[in-house]
Amino acid sequence: MAETVNNSGLLTVRLVTPDRVLADVTAEAVELPSMSGYMEALYGHAPLLAELGAGEVRLHGGTSGDQKFFVAWGFVEVLPERVTILAETAMHPNEIDKAEAQQELQAGEKMWHEAGDNGEQYDAANALTRQAEEKLASAEGRST
Amino acid sequence: MANVLDLRRRIRSVKNTRQITKAMKMVSAAKLRRAQERAMLARPYAQMLTNVLESLVRRTDLYGGESGDVMHPLLVEREEKNVLVIVVAGDKGFAGAFNSNITKAAQNFIDARRAMGQNVDVEPVGRKARDLFRKRYPTAVYDKTEEHYDNDLSTHYETIRRRSAPVEVLGEHQTLLLKLDIAEVSAMSHSIVERYERAEIDSVYVVYNEFKSVISQRLVVEKLLPIRKLGSHEITASEEMSEEQKEAAARAAKTAGISVNEPEESVVEAEAKKFGTAEVDYIFDQSPARLFKHLMPRYVTTQIFHAFLESVAAEHAARMTAMDSATNNAGDMIDALSLTMNRVRQAAITKEIIEIVSGAAAL
Repeated sequence: MAETVNNSGLLTVRLVTPDRVLADVTAEAVELPSMSGYMEALYGHAPLLAELGAGEVRLHGGTSGDQKFFVAWGFVEVLPERVTILAETAMHPNEIDKAEAQQELQAGEKMWHEAGDNGEQYDAANALTRQAEEKLASAEGRST
Repeated sequence: MANVLDLRRRIRSVKNTRQITKAMKMVSAAKLRRAQERAMLARPYAQMLTNVLESLVRRTDLYGGESGDVMHPLLVEREEKNVLVIVVAGDKGFAGAFNSNITKAAQNFIDARRAMGQNVDVEPVGRKARDLFRKRYPTAVYDKTEEHYDNDLSTHYETIRRRSAPVEVLGEHQTLLLKLDIAEVSAMSHSIVERYERAEIDSVYVVYNEFKSVISQRLVVEKLLPIRKLGSHEITASEEMSEEQKEAAARAAKTAGISVNEPEESVVEAEAKKFGTAEVDYIFDQSPARLFKHLMPRYVTTQIFHAFLESVAAEHAARMTAMDSATNNAGDMIDALSLTMNRVRQAAITKEIIEIVSGAAAL
């Protein structure tokens, strides 16, 4: 791994979606929405693999300034000098279609009511609702 | 014998056709370039997903029971009684033998499976495949049962498949390939995974055109489920391009300015291969078993997505080649017609001169 180590104290952050590589930048710190809550990775973090939930990936510092991305479901690999985010859905907050997110929210709630005693349906409904909520929050710039 | 005027008219019409086929060729070339790019851009994600899965499989806590097998419904092998085949064809014609080759290969597959006494579900993707198989086989029927419990607060749904014929068609994916969107592919693959887990189907195959470069394509039947080995494509049958086809494709690519070589691996792609494989002990934020469970369906999605991307590129390449041949043929036809026209005109002139000369001689 010697060839990839840099001494700048900056993380190389890469955001990859099924379609393309959305971002390939450097940052001082990265906030990640993992399944069990937000976490922040700095340079020199211990190697970690985590599942991402819905929320915002926030990049601080670095050459391209602060950046935010909305992501929904994926994986992240954190290495001491590199963070790779594998997201099923990822976009800039200003690319979010609020009307569509609203619809998704309603669809999620409807699914929840119709789930009956099907546990998997509940999980799917909850995931959809949460994703829509996070999407709206991100679009309106009030994501926590 | 046709007169000069008729011939001139025909030449003009063939010239028009040539212009159209030439334009179609250039459009296909541009679309091919874009499709190739898309396929390239999708590679890092697929690679990384596979890597994470592989590194998870190496961990022992996924192995359960006394058999020591990896526990996941998508890895379970059953006797193949009901087979699902996804047929990836195009949405439009004018692509030479592209669509008919695919449907022929799919039909062969279906016939072979029928001969073994297995039931086959056909899930056609692309309008051409859909039109054909819908006409040939009946549509699958699902019954949705609804059960109300005493308190009427919860409802229980269950879908039951009623099989009436050994070969049935299901799914409507007509415009999926025109605007390839991962969300739609994901929905399709979820439905397939669900059917597999419910044991409605025992194995899944895809028939599609694999595309490496313009001159390196093949028609393959790939086994998708059950997953035997991660990160590899299990090809059960394939049909390579003939030398003749390769030559035609290479010629078309050259005139359209498309490289015949496989695109080179990008830096991101090279690094994608290292994703999740660092020789370190990762901290797992969630339990590996849970990660594994969530990853498997996504892996299937990327496999299907990959097949679609390749097929789209192959379709454009096939159309480009077909249109290039058509343009060449039109050129040949124009030459032949011009020759005939000149001959006819010359014959008329000669005839007139003879008439004048013999008339003068008779005086």
